[in-house]
Amino acid sequence: MTLALKLDPAAWQPEIEIVPYRLDNGLKIFVLPDPRVPAVSLQLHYHVGSRHELQGITGISHLFEHLMFRGSETLGPEEFSRILQAKGGEINAFTTRDHTSYFENLPAEHLELGLQLEADRLANLKLNDENFQTERQVVISERKLRSVDSPFGLVLEQLFAAAYTQHPYQWPVIGWDQDLKRMGLRECLSYYQTYYHPGNLSVVIAGDARPDQARDLVEKHFGKIPSPGPVADLKVAEPPQRGERRALLKKVSQVEALFAGFHIVGMAHPDVYPLTLLAVVLSGGRSSRFYQEFVKPGRAVEMEAEIASPPWTSQDPDLMVLTAIAAPGQSLSQLEDDLWAALARLEKDGVQPVELARAKKLIRAQAARGLSQNFYRGLLVGLFDMKTGDAGKVNEMLKLYEAVTLEDLHRVAKEYLREDNRTVVALKPVSPEESRTLGEMV
Amino acid sequence: MANYIPEIHQATLPNGLNLLGVEYDRVPWLSLTFIAKRGAEADPPGKGGVADWTAEFLTLGTQKRTQLQLAADIEARGAALSARAGWDATVVSLEGLAEDLPELMATMAEVVQTPGFPEGEFPLLKERRRAELAHLQDDPREFANRRFTRLFFGDAPYGHPASGDLESLETIGLEDLLDFYRREFTPRESTLVMVGMAPFARMAAEAEKAWAAWSGGGPVSPPYTQAPERLRAPGTYLLDRPDLTQSEIRIGHLGLPRSHPDYHPLRLVNYILGEGGFSSRLMTRIRSDLGCTYGIRSSFNFRRAAGPFVISTFTPAAQSALVVKEIKAVVREVREAGVTAQELAEAQSYYVGHFPLGLETPRGIGSRVVSMDLYNLGWDYLQRYRERISEVTLDAAREAAMRHLQPDSLVTLVVGPAAQCSKDLEALGTLEIIS
Repeated sequence: MTLALKLDPAAWQPEIEIVPYRLDNGLKIFVLPDPRVPAVSLQLHYHVGSRHELQGITGISHLFEHLMFRGSETLGPEEFSRILQAKGGEINAFTTRDHTSYFENLPAEHLELGLQLEADRLANLKLNDENFQTERQVVISERKLRSVDSPFGLVLEQLFAAAYTQHPYQWPVIGWDQDLKRMGLRECLSYYQTYYHPGNLSVVIAGDARPDQARDLVEKHFGKIPSPGPVADLKVAEPPQRGERRALLKKVSQVEALFAGFHIVGMAHPDVYPLTLLAVVLSGGRSSRFYQEFVKPGRAVEMEAEIASPPWTSQDPDLMVLTAIAAPGQSLSQLEDDLWAALARLEKDGVQPVELARAKKLIRAQAARGLSQNFYRGLLVGLFDMKTGDAGKVNEMLKLYEAVTLEDLHRVAKEYLREDNRTVVALKPVSPEESRTLGEMV
Repeated sequence: MANYIPEIHQATLPNGLNLLGVEYDRVPWLSLTFIAKRGAEADPPGKGGVADWTAEFLTLGTQKRTQLQLAADIEARGAALSARAGWDATVVSLEGLAEDLPELMATMAEVVQTPGFPEGEFPLLKERRRAELAHLQDDPREFANRRFTRLFFGDAPYGHPASGDLESLETIGLEDLLDFYRREFTPRESTLVMVGMAPFARMAAEAEKAWAAWSGGGPVSPPYTQAPERLRAPGTYLLDRPDLTQSEIRIGHLGLPRSHPDYHPLRLVNYILGEGGFSSRLMTRIRSDLGCTYGIRSSFNFRRAAGPFVISTFTPAAQSALVVKEIKAVVREVREAGVTAQELAEAQSYYVGHFPLGLETPRGIGSRVVSMDLYNLGWDYLQRYRERISEVTLDAAREAAMRHLQPDSLVTLVVGPAAQCSKDLEALGTLEIIS
């Protein structure tokens, strides 16, 4: 029998139903039931990312994510992916500054298989030198793809390296080339023992699953895996920036560009909401300030104010990054002057009510669209819990955006988008010949 | 569990416009997609990009509203308007909250039926495009994709990038966009796909109100269905990019049209060859065994006419020849030895099991409905899809591999630093340097 669809937008509730559990070994579980499509998103969020690394082993979190696919005592390399994919699953993982996340979007009837295999690789990972050497090569190729040969990868790396002097956000998630070449299996084994256990893990199951049954399945497969307890909280802070920092990077490029990073806040801070709305006012959509002033008339290929909005905001204070890519033939320094002038107007006059209303509705619409996906709902809950300590906060998110006032926007513009608080890295195009004289790009 | 395979409602307006609707209840979203059934393949010769520019131009102002007014009104509702040309269709998309159904429908109709073609926007569009195209050269992957298309198809309709290139940019004028619009935008060769939180009767009523009076243009260009007889000769072509540290590699030959009866067996074969991630032979060989790349995939581009079959990867430059050689060996092996019963069973269960995941979002549903309409797949296609995948036999898969993988016809493009790879590539056979 086909159930009647509920087709009244006014009756829709954005709240995510969250059923939390905790096992004796410390493992956190969040089940988000939704039976409408016979699929689940199974997510494992380990609370470790590049933030937890040290100089000399930068990139180990991401490299380790690769090693998690290289087999266990019973499974060969990549067999994990092959088995679950053969059931129709989408399998992948990603590493950020704060966490390493593995996910399987699966037909609902294969949830247990996903849990069984995840528990297997957590408990019985096969870490040997052959696997390590192969994946190190793969990651070195990935680094060349994402950082060295990509148009702005190295520029952005420089931006974070200059903006953070003491905090681990100064190095890229993929790690420095020399660290990737230097580190060995020994460091990986130590990393595995410190961070990969139930006390440092949240399991999220979003979709067509009954909470009590899902919990029992997690207990069945993870309940006996021991944990040394939660990992000690890492307290790291970047001192306030006391004056603009500037750097220049020369490489072969068709365009000149600059990236300006302003220190802002971490995800648990309430200012993340007005800051996100401010970024939308500046560059969200084709009626935005930056599009109309810079992109539409052909002065800039791109002019964006970017902030990683919740749940992607980093745990510790992040950067808001302004990207200005000059159109060929346009002066970058004039573009930069006009960009600062645009910020000065914002700081002087604030934003208009119509701009704030538009930004709020854009955010609400994006949230509504995102909530159609089990995967996104699961990420919201898992990452809110990890970065703010309260999964339930996710259901306040839309209300917090809604409560933002014109005064809030004006205040955060003045407080964060200051000259003394910014780091600017410019890309200057050079010929291939000149590029060669500047040394190897790594 | 509800029946998750959506019912597709269909109606035709008296002017010929085809309406397709899906009721969707997970979130209060509405996705409207208008397709005119000619795309970049209908660009005038030497003017690659006209269809795509026309699409964007529709969003730059109507007879009633300027670009800024239009964007401000749409974004005030939290909605997003976008338009582009692909192969076989030009697509205008407007997505927003379902509570705004009447306004979104009226806006979509206004954009498609009464574009303003404001003269003042044209030079701005041209400069933006020029800057974007220049900047694209900094992205090695996109650069290689575009260069391969041109190398392989030459001046044939699929030979230019859909968004055009720096050469065609100078030849395109506002009149070309007007011509394309007048010719290809007509209700008789168009479809409006509506997926959202509203009863179909209501979506159809709003559509009728907004679209019934549209007469449009035409006659549209004849459909492009025959691949060109002459294509680039098989061989290896090297484009020197001394500024890169890795080589981008594209290897391909002519594929099949979407209407080909071997579509399902060949998709399964291609999953095993290179589409199936870590389940694929190419990923296993080039990444897992050799550690030569982060990613590799193969794809058949099924269009109205035969599109290209392309294998794409990248590798540190010194390994270019090794990777090219290994890829060719894998293609030959799949063709000659076929796939195994286990591989086929796993590929089938992947597509069958993955099927509901593609129906989770309005966009996912919308794109499937667009394909069903564009390629006449039948309105029961979603119902029958899993059966069509499951019924492919091992013999059928092996025959498809034998018939449609052509290792001797492969055209190979390497974009990378020649100083590090040309010698080894020469050792593989004739090497032609291109610019």
